[in-house]
Amino acid sequence: MVEYKSHAKLAQRSGRLDAAFSAMADPTRRAILARLALAEARVTEIAADFPVSLNAVSKHIKMLERADLVRRTVQGRDHIVSLNAGAMAEAAEWIDFYRQFWEDRLASLEAFVLTKRSSAKKGKRT
Amino acid sequence: MNAVASIPTVVVKRKIAAPAQQIFDAWLDPTALAEWMRPCSAREKRSDVKVDAREGGAFEIVMHVASGPVRHTGVYQTIDAPRRLVFTWNSPHAGQNDSLVTVDFRPDGKITEVVITHERLPEAARAGHTGGWTDILESLAKQLG
Repeated sequence: MVEYKSHAKLAQRSGRLDAAFSAMADPTRRAILARLALAEARVTEIAADFPVSLNAVSKHIKMLERADLVRRTVQGRDHIVSLNAGAMAEAAEWIDFYRQFWEDRLASLEAFVLTKRSSAKKGKRT
Repeated sequence: MNAVASIPTVVVKRKIAAPAQQIFDAWLDPTALAEWMRPCSAREKRSDVKVDAREGGAFEIVMHVASGPVRHTGVYQTIDAPRRLVFTWNSPHAGQNDSLVTVDFRPDGKITEVVITHERLPEAARAGHTGGWTDILESLAKQLG
């Protein structure tokens, strides 16, 4: 059962979520996130995994950083990119909320339609 | 590589033993919608519903929960009875920006499968809101690949 207790909290997150979902709308960026889910990586390592230029990968990573989905740490000459699990979890929470929300509504819709049908049938008999 | 690579979209399905037209109508008839489009916790109180059931028409659904009324609004993008209904969705949960809900009604004998697809719109698509929905849906289709 879906409840509305946390809706103020969810509203506060909406800006961050919008940035996260916009960033995730791109297939290459989703693939980069999937890569980082396995392990943190250098920018050059990520670039080697994808059939696009280092420059393009670098731009994608900047967008993911802006959406706070990944974090970058500089160790000497290496830029290490890692997943920000917290931001990913918020996006997942939005998905979980609406999955439950629509499942509940569809159950309610079914109950409504079936009740209406059975009362219509009864009406015909009498 | 597919662990996180799924599209950030909610898809929910349910098979209902009724004709598609009847289920479709329950979405646009305000009396019906007020009856079923409410949270489980609001057993006693129907939602307040306003429906302008035409493409480009707006709707408003106020659901009553313990913490107070929760307002949901949107605009119908596609009304293709009894096959498909597409509308924007704006609620405290969707953030300040619209998300997009597509409801497909797939008849299979005496049963209809109802499929709800709820997606957040990328910023690029939202910027084009005034530019017409065909463009947006095309760009969405491209972006979601």
